[in-house]
Amino acid sequence: MTNNLRRNAGRTMRMTTIYILVSGVAMIIIFPMFFLFSFSLMSDYETYSEWPKPLLPRTSVDYRMDHSGNGNFRLSIWNVSENDWMPFGPEELNRNPDEIKKLSRFLNNYGNTQFSEEEILTAMKLTDQDGFYEFALRKSLIHNYRRFFKLYSGAARSVLQSLYTAGMTIFISVSIGGMAGYAFARYVFKGKNILKLSVLFVRMFPPVAIAIPMVVILGKMGMYDKPVGLSLIYSINQISMNIWITASIFMGIPESLEEAAQVFGTSKTGAFFRVTMPLAVPGLAACAMYSFIYSWNEVINAVILTQFNPTFPVVVYKSLLGANAQVHLIAAGSIAQALPAIIFTLFIRKYILQMWGGVKV
Amino acid sequence: MKKLVIMTALILVVSAFVFAAGEKEMAANAPTRLVVSSRLYSQPGEQQFLIDEVFPAFEKENNCIVMFEILEDDPLLKRAQFQKESGRVTTDVVIAHAGRMAEWIKNDYVVPLPVDQWTDRTFSKAFSTSISANGKTYFAPVGGDVYLMLINKKALPYLPAGADVQDLTWEQYVDWAVAVAKGEGEGKAAVTGVPMKSLIYMYGGMFLSYGGEFPVINSPGAIEGWTLLSKMKDAYTPTVNTYDNVSAPMKTGEAWMTVAHMVRCGDAYQSNPSNYVLAPAPKGPEGIGSIAGTSGFAVTNGAPNEELAIKFVKYMTEPSMAVRVARGTGGFIPPIDEAIDQLGDSIQDEIISKGIMVMTNGVVSGVPGGDYTSWGAVKQVYDDAFQELILKRGAVDVDYLNEAQARINALKK
Amino acid sequence: MPDTTEIQDRETKRNLTPYLLIAPVVIYYIIFWLFPVINAVGGSFLSTSLDKGGIFTLANYKAVFKDPIFWQAVINTTIIVIISVTLEFFLAFGLALLINVKFRGSSFFLFLAIIPMSLPAVAVGAMWNSGLATYGWLNSFLIRIGLIDPSNKILFLAGTHFSRMILIILVDAWQVIPFMMIILLSGMQGLQPEMAEAGRVFGGNRWQVLRKITVPMLKQTIITAMILRIIAAIQIWLIIVMIFGFNRLPVLMEQIVLNIDQYMAEEFFRKGMALSVIVAVLVSGVSFIYLKASGAFDDPGSREGDE
Repeated sequence: MTNNLRRNAGRTMRMTTIYILVSGVAMIIIFPMFFLFSFSLMSDYETYSEWPKPLLPRTSVDYRMDHSGNGNFRLSIWNVSENDWMPFGPEELNRNPDEIKKLSRFLNNYGNTQFSEEEILTAMKLTDQDGFYEFALRKSLIHNYRRFFKLYSGAARSVLQSLYTAGMTIFISVSIGGMAGYAFARYVFKGKNILKLSVLFVRMFPPVAIAIPMVVILGKMGMYDKPVGLSLIYSINQISMNIWITASIFMGIPESLEEAAQVFGTSKTGAFFRVTMPLAVPGLAACAMYSFIYSWNEVINAVILTQFNPTFPVVVYKSLLGANAQVHLIAAGSIAQALPAIIFTLFIRKYILQMWGGVKV
Repeated sequence: MKKLVIMTALILVVSAFVFAAGEKEMAANAPTRLVVSSRLYSQPGEQQFLIDEVFPAFEKENNCIVMFEILEDDPLLKRAQFQKESGRVTTDVVIAHAGRMAEWIKNDYVVPLPVDQWTDRTFSKAFSTSISANGKTYFAPVGGDVYLMLINKKALPYLPAGADVQDLTWEQYVDWAVAVAKGEGEGKAAVTGVPMKSLIYMYGGMFLSYGGEFPVINSPGAIEGWTLLSKMKDAYTPTVNTYDNVSAPMKTGEAWMTVAHMVRCGDAYQSNPSNYVLAPAPKGPEGIGSIAGTSGFAVTNGAPNEELAIKFVKYMTEPSMAVRVARGTGGFIPPIDEAIDQLGDSIQDEIISKGIMVMTNGVVSGVPGGDYTSWGAVKQVYDDAFQELILKRGAVDVDYLNEAQARINALKK
Repeated sequence: MPDTTEIQDRETKRNLTPYLLIAPVVIYYIIFWLFPVINAVGGSFLSTSLDKGGIFTLANYKAVFKDPIFWQAVINTTIIVIISVTLEFFLAFGLALLINVKFRGSSFFLFLAIIPMSLPAVAVGAMWNSGLATYGWLNSFLIRIGLIDPSNKILFLAGTHFSRMILIILVDAWQVIPFMMIILLSGMQGLQPEMAEAGRVFGGNRWQVLRKITVPMLKQTIITAMILRIIAAIQIWLIIVMIFGFNRLPVLMEQIVLNIDQYMAEEFFRKGMALSVIVAVLVSGVSFIYLKASGAFDDPGSREGDE
């Protein structure tokens, strides 16, 4: 009885320690990503002019308009960290329509708040009346994302290009890699060790040294600006990975099952497709998702190899070129790009352990 | 498990379908497609302006569609190499940066332009070394830039007595930076410290103002410059080595003062104009020195629509058009003499007006990148000297500079 | 796993099948990998066009070995590989042991752990650049929770050479430890718990069981995890360049990219090719020694039939 109690207490202690440790590690993992996400919802002003930087984005912004002497106006913004009004926008404002238009655009781009030209004129009138005018504007949280997607009308099409490329990469690398993986798992043959080492060696030669010739070979084959061409390049890395993973998967499926099927009169091939394949599918699917993530994130080759049919990461990359020192826009772009990969990760998590279960180099 | 399989299959089917549809759509395009790949105008607003207000007239006149895409210099060059080697050139016009033009010309990726026939425009002299080679002009400059000074207003109380921000000497700038560092307890000056970026231009520009010649690192003028700058040992921010552009530290307030490329200054300045003072780069005995950069249009070798491409370059660099584009996009100077004259005094844009002031009154030099086997390696020499003489020793060592110049000379073609 | 005698029985019957299955991979790699590699290796032995152009020379290799930065890169890479692989292995192993105990939410934790791997490079760069800067989110956070004073911001990026290296190792570890952990964890889940229990029954304490039973049984998995990590660690470069730029913390891969991609001149390009060959030889040498020493070649599953 006491023994039992003690064991229970020990167990509880252990589980508590585990939970504390696990949540600590989870925090470390989440933290940097949390900030990136938080930035993607902030305005330029929040990300750069608040110090210390806010942890969470604000949903509304307070502004104040004053006279700057000689009948002109100036605008201030409420800086939460400083707990004070800080100058914001041009030093002096007048009623010149061009200036007002510029200010409206400024508030939109750097404050992520909407304030139309008429509203600015009204604010000026009220300032003239009372000497100052304070107003709060709702901050658009998705402003950075919207800006990013509005700009690139081709974004939607490029997502499909990316999916197609990923699909082809999965097809090529899983089929070719899977065949080799099966051979490694089931057969003993001459030169097996050398082949296994070469598969490893493929990953050792610095990719940058062979990128251009590789790409030129593709170009000569007429694969320029086609998803198929890209997927052929992506497969180089993925095949070696898939060989290991599939070998591990097939090793985990007892060969006796195939033999049993053959006893009942199926051909060898039939046995493979009817017995082994269905068992291997979850692992293969996970393997496919892995290839998906790689192909989805690749930019360096895609930038050179596409022109009219860019993949989504290329569109993100190009649009971020103009986002110099605007980390909130970069954050929005990269999160938009990362999201699909993260969702797929959610799907593979159940299979990922099986996939690596028996991997041997 | 089923979910996974279904999803994978679905993706394949959908994308195959859409891809097929995409192919068809492409075949149906009747007007010529003129493909322009540019490193310039990467800001969304700039692109919008070109697409909405500049291209349509040209498209209508020539029954074509201008396909404008943005890419950095590196991938542009790599793609050109790839397209040339595989024999499938699809780009008609490129806009490349002056620092990289030599590579475009050297590798035959671009063809000479018939500039003799364009009598109505004079390209700014500062760029003649970049845009042409062997007496032929390959690039038509667009979007010129010079070096400006950006100051956070918090630094103003430390301004040395009698100094005028808009008319500052380098001595005053250095004293100011040192005073700020002393007063604040940490350095507040910024420069691009990450190797092989733009440090060479900022320093080279300063040496010009002391009578130096770009990119000589040990001329009497340059030595005078180094001597002055070595006082700034502790005036730079502690993490200056990690700045690959100065806009971010200027925006966060990590740095308060910088002399930098006008686009970088502009990025920070525009984010909150009332926080900053924008001024021309400081001057030396010879006046304001600045390296001037530019981008330029060129027609690719083997362009599918070469004739149209040349027409397009001609259209875009007409002085009145250059003025319109400069007004519409902001941030850059049109490097065409007639256009600068036309812009005259009617400039509203703070950045352009300061830039033109430097460009027309200063001692300006282009980037002779083509004279060296590797311009990146020349930049590295400057980065090394910056590390050694300024950040590490805080003293000038003429022998070190002579050795550095020997390294630069060794890179000369 | 089928046992050895069984395999040897079957081997004579199915002579051609494995080769047919392997053929596509071999063909594919010959076209898309071997041609370019031969190109690169050949190119590293040719002189530049300024120097009589295209004749056999060892000048490119000499240039590499004469370059002091190369030797610095070798040293830095060695240090980074040793520290990061050791650190990552122990952390990942510890984590895997921890998670191997069933607890609620373990599958969600696994999901979290995989996310860093699926982030695009631009996100990782933006994250750490904006985090480690003096006025970045890391300092902001420390100030907000009151751990440091606003006037004592930590200068993460201003440190010495060695502290820069540690920073890179930590940032890299953040992204790859999950990967290692997953490999190790999958190996652990394949183990039969009875073995460990038997060890406990015979009086071993937890530590002894781990050392004498769990680790030896996990040997294959550990070798896999280590070799993949070593290869990847030798090739760390992008995060270094994103945080510090080129040449600030020279490592081998970064020097290759620098010479091939950045200097944009033939002599540097060829030097970069030579450097690539050297690195490839180095990496395969290290992995070969490691595999040999750890006995990966003589496990029954991959034994050659003709030995």
